[in-house]
Amino acid sequence: MKTQHRQSTAKRKPQKSGKRAENKERTRKAILRAALDLFDKQGFYRATTRSICRKAGIAEGTLFNYFRTKEDLALCFFEEELADLTDWFRREKRLRQAPLPEKLFAIIHQHLERIGPHESFIGAVYLRALHPASKLNLLSLESQAQNLRYLRFIHEILSQAEAEREIPKVGEIGAYAFALFHLAIITYWLQDSSPGKGKTLALLDRCLNLASSFLKRGGWEW
Amino acid sequence: MVNEELPEGVFLRGFRLGKLGVSLTGSYLGYQIQNLFLHGEKKLEKGRSFRHGASRQLRKELERLKGPVMKLGQILSTQTQTFSDETIRELAKLQMQAPGMHPTLARAQFKSSCGKYPEEVFRVFEPEPFAAASLGQVHRAITKHGEKVAVKIQYPAIREAMENDFKLLRSAMLPGRITGHFPVAIVDEIQRGFSEETDYLKEAANLDFFRERLALFSYLAIPAVHRDLTTDRVLTMSFIEGAPAPDFLASNPSQSVRDLIGSRLLELYYFQVQQVQALHADHHPGNYLFKPDGQIGLVDFGCVKRLSFDVAELSRCCVARSWKQGKAQAEHVIRLIWGKQVPFKQARDMLSSVEEGVDVLFPMKTGAAAIVDFGKPDLLKIFGRNLRQVLRHKLTNPEFAFLSRAELGLYGLLHQLKSRVNTLEVWEGIVEPRQRRKT
Repeated sequence: MKTQHRQSTAKRKPQKSGKRAENKERTRKAILRAALDLFDKQGFYRATTRSICRKAGIAEGTLFNYFRTKEDLALCFFEEELADLTDWFRREKRLRQAPLPEKLFAIIHQHLERIGPHESFIGAVYLRALHPASKLNLLSLESQAQNLRYLRFIHEILSQAEAEREIPKVGEIGAYAFALFHLAIITYWLQDSSPGKGKTLALLDRCLNLASSFLKRGGWEW
Repeated sequence: MVNEELPEGVFLRGFRLGKLGVSLTGSYLGYQIQNLFLHGEKKLEKGRSFRHGASRQLRKELERLKGPVMKLGQILSTQTQTFSDETIRELAKLQMQAPGMHPTLARAQFKSSCGKYPEEVFRVFEPEPFAAASLGQVHRAITKHGEKVAVKIQYPAIREAMENDFKLLRSAMLPGRITGHFPVAIVDEIQRGFSEETDYLKEAANLDFFRERLALFSYLAIPAVHRDLTTDRVLTMSFIEGAPAPDFLASNPSQSVRDLIGSRLLELYYFQVQQVQALHADHHPGNYLFKPDGQIGLVDFGCVKRLSFDVAELSRCCVARSWKQGKAQAEHVIRLIWGKQVPFKQARDMLSSVEEGVDVLFPMKTGAAAIVDFGKPDLLKIFGRNLRQVLRHKLTNPEFAFLSRAELGLYGLLHQLKSRVNTLEVWEGIVEPRQRRKT
């Protein structure tokens, strides 16, 4: 009996902590959703932590248990976007067989599609990230973990293309170059006023094809 | 499908064109040098091999450049008397096999223009295109109501690429403009026509217009527009069955079907000129879909010429050779073609050349002798000679830019079909309208 009792307690315990974790996660998501909504409507700088708490339906102090600053909120948003992006790419069976330029096009396009509804927030964060003391800065330690995940994800795709002899060896630097290109495309996208951001699509497609044909012709091997 | 970049900048496109020219010239010189040491069958074989290689290189570069430069290639592919068979075969591929957007880009471009992804608005959407054009590519799809449709999606930023090409063309034609052989009005007219092709809403309006005006011809099918799924960069139309002209010809159709299609194509052309005062001006073979029973499908109404001068009257004068009736009648014809600004003496010499063409197209004969065999190259030769003469004598008229393109394209197609048609009979049927029997 004793053994049985211990077993059932052992089973219940993780359930309790699991439920607590679930609640925490639900609150975290609610805060993030509320923050994003207010960043979009009021702007990143004008939205206050008080208004975020009110919208998320939590006590004012609770927010700081999850996020210390608005920059942490923004970082969390980008982290989730990146996780969703990599999950999405791994689910896309057809893309796995596609040529490299199409794969890379799909990644950036999907990213732009996801962040599209939050364009003004992204614009504000983009400027904020230029500040050297900002956590959003690409070189900040807080951003680095995320950047590494992204670089590994791209490196994995480039390595597959290398293994299939689609491109010559580009090593890790290929992933760094693509990350910079990704950033450049977001910069262009932010100021693109063409209908449906068609010019960004054109630029993205042409640059990737150009880079791909350059690599295929051995332009990399000096 | 191979996906190639579309060089957008004027400098890059200019560089590619220049590189192509240098490369072709180099190959030609190499071929000519080798030619000095070759004889008999080897010489012929070398010639074929050079033409094949050069034509393939030309076609590939035009495919890559797309825009008006590729359009130019499509127009050239109808010049069966100007180029070798190898070149025509390669250029003809531009119509149906141009490299396109990869499925992800096509899908993104659809969303960018329509606000939703194709799979959200269609029951079925084929990610790979079944036909490509210079400005877009066409996908098969099935609507939510189960109707088969063709969805034409435009390449991104093709308008900017086109503007850059025209900057290049204008620069390249500077000597012609200075000497007056190629007036700026011609380039303006060509740019106007090509630019209109980039607006699919205009093409949709053209489709509605021609569907209504040509509804009389039961053998003709023109796509119906799905307005709810059409924007300036996406055009959704009913799917037209039939084989594109090159595939149809490859199926070796009987002479009677070739003749039937030939007479119908001419009937449609004369009707547009005489009764509609507007015409489908893009007569390259990929725009025609034929069925073994002689039914015709006509697609791609991006390039339409609305006739602002009395072409109907001019055609009547040409068929009647009215200039032979006296100076006043000759002046009347000259004014119809060139307006008042061209001196009579300068233009009069051209009339004999025009007459030469009219004699081939509308022979003043009866019975079997009245039948024009378009398989013979006579008409195209005369047409080509006349065009050169017009350029030499600085008698170009911007109004004729697309009219000539349409006419030349039509005769080129009839030549490929090897149709034999009693043209005068077809003409009279249009000028004196009769009740057509629905087939």
